[in-house]
Amino acid sequence: MEKILEKKRIDDWIKALSDWEVHAPALQDGIWTYQPVSGAIRLDHPNTNQSPKGFAFPQREIFFSFEQIKGEPPKLKQVLPKTPQHAVFGVRPCDGRGVPRMDKVFNDHVEDPYYNARRKNVAYVGLACNKPPSPNCFCLSVGGSPVSTDGLDVQLTDMGDRYFVKAITEAGKALMKAADGMFSDPSAAEQKQLKQVHAEAVAHPQRKVNDPDGAPAKLKANFNSPLWEEMARACIGCGICTFLCPTCHCFDINDEVQNKAPLKGQRVRTWDNCQFPDFTMHSSGHNPRENTGARLRQRVNHKFQYFHENFGMHQCTGCGRCITGCPVGIDIVTVVNKVTEHAG
Amino acid sequence: MPDNIYLPQLARVAYIKDEVYGERAIKTFRVEPVDGKLFDHECGQCAMLSIFGRGESMISIASSPLIREYKQFSIMKVGRVSSAFHELEVGDVIGIRGPYGNSFPVDDWRGKNLYFIGGGCGLAPIWPVITTAVAQRDYFKNITVFYGGRTSRDIMYRTELEKLRDSVDVHLSIDKAEEGWEGYCGFVPAAVMDKDPNPGNAIAITCGPPIMIKFVIQNLNKLGFKDEQIYTTIENKMKCGIGKCGRCNVGKDYVCVKGPVYSWAELKHLPEEY
Repeated sequence: MEKILEKKRIDDWIKALSDWEVHAPALQDGIWTYQPVSGAIRLDHPNTNQSPKGFAFPQREIFFSFEQIKGEPPKLKQVLPKTPQHAVFGVRPCDGRGVPRMDKVFNDHVEDPYYNARRKNVAYVGLACNKPPSPNCFCLSVGGSPVSTDGLDVQLTDMGDRYFVKAITEAGKALMKAADGMFSDPSAAEQKQLKQVHAEAVAHPQRKVNDPDGAPAKLKANFNSPLWEEMARACIGCGICTFLCPTCHCFDINDEVQNKAPLKGQRVRTWDNCQFPDFTMHSSGHNPRENTGARLRQRVNHKFQYFHENFGMHQCTGCGRCITGCPVGIDIVTVVNKVTEHAG
Repeated sequence: MPDNIYLPQLARVAYIKDEVYGERAIKTFRVEPVDGKLFDHECGQCAMLSIFGRGESMISIASSPLIREYKQFSIMKVGRVSSAFHELEVGDVIGIRGPYGNSFPVDDWRGKNLYFIGGGCGLAPIWPVITTAVAQRDYFKNITVFYGGRTSRDIMYRTELEKLRDSVDVHLSIDKAEEGWEGYCGFVPAAVMDKDPNPGNAIAITCGPPIMIKFVIQNLNKLGFKDEQIYTTIENKMKCGIGKCGRCNVGKDYVCVKGPVYSWAELKHLPEEY
């Protein structure tokens, strides 16, 4: 389904989506974040500060609650998420490509009921990048594109005073059908303009991973390279890289106790971070990834080697957030290039 | 597998035994289902155990799959959850989910000589194999168990090991000589060399502290054991048990799914991140 929507009517479209909870990027205190839409939206954001991964994989979620009176067995109460249908507007293609990667992680081997309960109720309305929204964009290096529709339900392309609106999935069609009358069919000229805009988008220069196809084998060969420690020396282990990443999925599971006697609390999942020393530390104190070099290697190899070996694709989608956000200038593009160009 | 993999089943502690006292205290627990039945498991698999309010911990199942009435776990007091286990009393209820991981290919070993080489609490993960092999004694040729503790007080399953002597060669060792100790004195890898096991038609299964495993494997290689004849288990910190939480991987594989059991032929090619 391909349609044209006049830009000034986007708020009317969103108003027509009464069966969805609509979120869109909003500028708050100088930071672009996804916010529930109340009023007019603007889709002129560079990219959001945080990825939209939290819609299906929130930063903290309750698995179940437990209660126990002393001498009696505990009572568990499963808390499966019951989220309304979400429509998330303004998702950049790199973040769209994060979605199928997260889907793989949470459904490989065993299905994750919490992720899936949320995921099935989220539709992503993407916005093609007519020009790279960040100086650290490198989607083209990792199999993506500024006009990729991978993981998206609808793709919007900015064509001046109108959007070219393309439904990618059934969920996307449903979003468009909810406001049927607002759209018009694209003319031949508009089809041609779309091709032109997309061609220009792809032609913009970006950062470059030099040998993405060779990376898995080269990273494997350079596992013991001294470069890892050298490049990670500045790392302060803050974890912003994985926090901002659209595909980082590592999590922790902990019990939060509200009351000790009678026992009352809940088991929660929270995002976790491979850059933290205690992420892999055994209770004996032994730590298989005991220095920042080993932890940087884990982050980079997971994205450019391990995930590729398991699923045939890079886990990195080239959004560049980990580069922009790093307080000490660790740059995944430089790191991959250095290690893969390292002869030894 | 249940619909909600993260929701544990309730199990009652039916039996607790102090195996080892002191700083490296080990207790053995047997748990039975509060309702229904517990999952079936294979030798070498693990279970995620919960103490509600304290958290979860991945523990090797130390009982034979042939035992359906209970599951046994031997837990050293080291961290938050394992310390909470040491406070439990018979009748207390814990959570359990599993089984996780791969298993020892015990059925493939029929007709072979089996050498078990354990150290410290590393006897627990291989105990299901030992007890299963003993229960199916006719399927196997000679069975030999080497097991060592730092001191005589660190020897776990002492009574059970003595009982095994009827059908199995048992060689116990301690690191340093003690008065009244009749077994070998010295480290486990040396205790193995002392008996000069024959690699012909044999499988060696070893589990214990990483440094012990390293030297046991070196010595087995010296004795002529091929890498494919040597099996061990590895452990890493785990939270989910199903390859999603992202911390137990060694290379591309999550230990909770592809491990914990590896032949040395497989393991020696993996990065040493365990």
